[in-house]
Amino acid sequence: MRRDESSLDELLENPRLWRGRSHANATVGLASGYAKLDRHLPGGGWPQRALTEILVEHYGIGELRLLMPALARLSAEDSCVDYRQHREPGWIAWVAPPLQPYPPALQHWGINLSRILIVRPREASEVLWSAEQALSSGTCAAVLLWPDRLDDQASRRLQLAAEKGGSWAIAFRPLVARHEPSAAALRIALRSDTNGTHLDILKSRGGRPTVLHKLF
Amino acid sequence: MTRARKSLVLAREPAPTPVAKDSRFRDQHSSQQALPLDAPQAVLRPATMAVSRRLWFCIHLPHLPLEACGPGSDPRVVIEEQQGVHRVLLADQKARAAGILPGQSVNAALALLPTLKLEQRSRPSEQQTLEHLAAWLERFTSVVSIAGPDVLLLEVAGSLRLYGGLLSLRQQIAVGLEQQGFAAALAIAPTPLAATWLARGGRRACIRAPENLTSALRTLPLYCLGWPDAVCEALTGMGVVSVGDCLRLPREGFARRFGPERLIELDRALGRLPDPRVSWRAPETFCADFEMTEEQSDRELLFMICRELLYELERFLRQRQLGTQCVQFSFFHLRNSATQLLLGCAQAERHADHWFDLLRIRFERLTLSEPVIAVQLRGGHAQALQTETRQLGFHRHGGEPHLRHSMAQLAERLAARIGRHSVQGVATVAEHRPQYAWRARGLLGDAPMGPLAVNKYDSQRPLWMLSEPAVLPAERGYPLHHGRLTLLEGPERLETGWWDEDGIARDYYKAVNPQGMRLWVFQNRNRRAPCWFLHGFFG
Repeated sequence: MRRDESSLDELLENPRLWRGRSHANATVGLASGYAKLDRHLPGGGWPQRALTEILVEHYGIGELRLLMPALARLSAEDSCVDYRQHREPGWIAWVAPPLQPYPPALQHWGINLSRILIVRPREASEVLWSAEQALSSGTCAAVLLWPDRLDDQASRRLQLAAEKGGSWAIAFRPLVARHEPSAAALRIALRSDTNGTHLDILKSRGGRPTVLHKLF
Repeated sequence: MTRARKSLVLAREPAPTPVAKDSRFRDQHSSQQALPLDAPQAVLRPATMAVSRRLWFCIHLPHLPLEACGPGSDPRVVIEEQQGVHRVLLADQKARAAGILPGQSVNAALALLPTLKLEQRSRPSEQQTLEHLAAWLERFTSVVSIAGPDVLLLEVAGSLRLYGGLLSLRQQIAVGLEQQGFAAALAIAPTPLAATWLARGGRRACIRAPENLTSALRTLPLYCLGWPDAVCEALTGMGVVSVGDCLRLPREGFARRFGPERLIELDRALGRLPDPRVSWRAPETFCADFEMTEEQSDRELLFMICRELLYELERFLRQRQLGTQCVQFSFFHLRNSATQLLLGCAQAERHADHWFDLLRIRFERLTLSEPVIAVQLRGGHAQALQTETRQLGFHRHGGEPHLRHSMAQLAERLAARIGRHSVQGVATVAEHRPQYAWRARGLLGDAPMGPLAVNKYDSQRPLWMLSEPAVLPAERGYPLHHGRLTLLEGPERLETGWWDEDGIARDYYKAVNPQGMRLWVFQNRNRRAPCWFLHGFFG
């Protein structure tokens, strides 16, 4: 009996053993502005200092709308949680957006336009480099990126850079990437039809996969 | 005319009243020709200070022609062509020990010491050395003046307290000069000319009180004054061999025979006349070269050379408390034109390491067509540094403070690698035409962000915009985009801009397709056959 207990302790101390619950509620998430979604995310919101992947089939089905309330809070003058100590609102970097983010609409959603940084690298390899720089600089509260491809290693790098800079990385990827491995803390697939936008939590560190119908 | 008469009258007065003295002083300012007549004889009256209390520190560099040639250990001499013959101008210690004297012909010197190294005198490099030294001396005082080919003057009265007194200051300058390899004669006096003459005479004088000037200068031989040879010869012929002898001569006669300038110089040296000096200003922009003896293509080596140049730039800027926003490297090739590399940063910067980081990003993708023979670094316009408040180490909240670089630094890192125009911010513009309702904003440079226009729209605007509206195919009047579109809201009529070339008259609709994509589409009103355009996605 005693022998069994010690072997269980040994097993639990083994660094190769990953326990899904270990991260649960360790950090406070950033409220997404959608109560239904917040309930299903560990920490009650978007995971901070981590990589979030959003998988979409087409751009324009609501992937920006999903983020707008959270980004508006991050860029606001005095309301961001992480940056309160410094009284400095965070920047929001857009790396290689596929289309032009339209400032009047961003303003309408409450984004502080003076904190928008748009980076348009000319080569695909520079997208990840720019995003990593922005993430680890510690100035950007959130970094949105549209990489051509994101392998396991690259996602791990982004995850580490996000941890280092205390930033939130959001990578937008095509839906076909859902079967590729990724180091992201949260992976969400977004679908939409004429009824509305549906959300599929594929992976959530400290949470569990769910499907949310008709989020908005 | 009246003024001249007045000064004659004043000159005859045995003891002028203070008011009269003042007017005399004004006269001296206005007309220097009238001076020798009305200034009193030195022997009759104690010297009066015409200038406020100042202290001049003179650095005389008698071996400058040799020192400007750079370091060298061999016995060597500096030669100069004098009347068609190359003669020794200056010999170093080893050469002097071998019996080589200034004025000897080169052949005679070579006969004495065959291993002698000959250096051609270069006045530009002497001037450069002098300026280099002046730049270094600017740390001791704000008034540094280059007063001749081998003389530097510093006004140090204001610096004494900071440097812990005259002796300590003198010691610091002397040690600094010695470390840089200069053999200098130093002298301190209340007037610049007196200090210069004392230094030329090799007197290690340190005179603080103007009253002591006359007695200190009296014994100086004439050659210290730097007067033309003809004047010195004429004076020596008269048995006048020292400054004291000159002062004993009648002023009027002295001025008539040797020119009023000589008398003015004497008066200035004794502090009876003001002697304003132009203070030397270091150039505001930096430029330095690194020339190699042979062509190099080793990138690591070139990189190190760039680094050295950047450290030199940092020293240059640090002395001036300045920074610069851009630097330019030029890599010179023997045959092709130079390869240029321009680095820019958002705020004035002087730290070499910062520039080095930017250089590293750019250098690895720089293509050099040929081996490089010289590297030049040119600093941009130097400007005042913007100081920033640094976080104290114990603010540990919200991320690690030492990682918190400013946005400007991030922007310039990105711009260094992917180009200036690929990194931008945004701003809104008060305009109804959707494509003109915003503009890109540069993040590099100090351009302040103006007030943002807040446009109130009747309907929502899309988050994604197409740079150019795209024509949508249509099927029986219905626009198609991955299926037939259903119009949700609209129309919102935008009809404006008729005053310029780019007027619009459009009906905008919010539409949705079978996949649930929400689109912003429009129809032109003026056209006969209405065509559908896609302008954005609501995202």
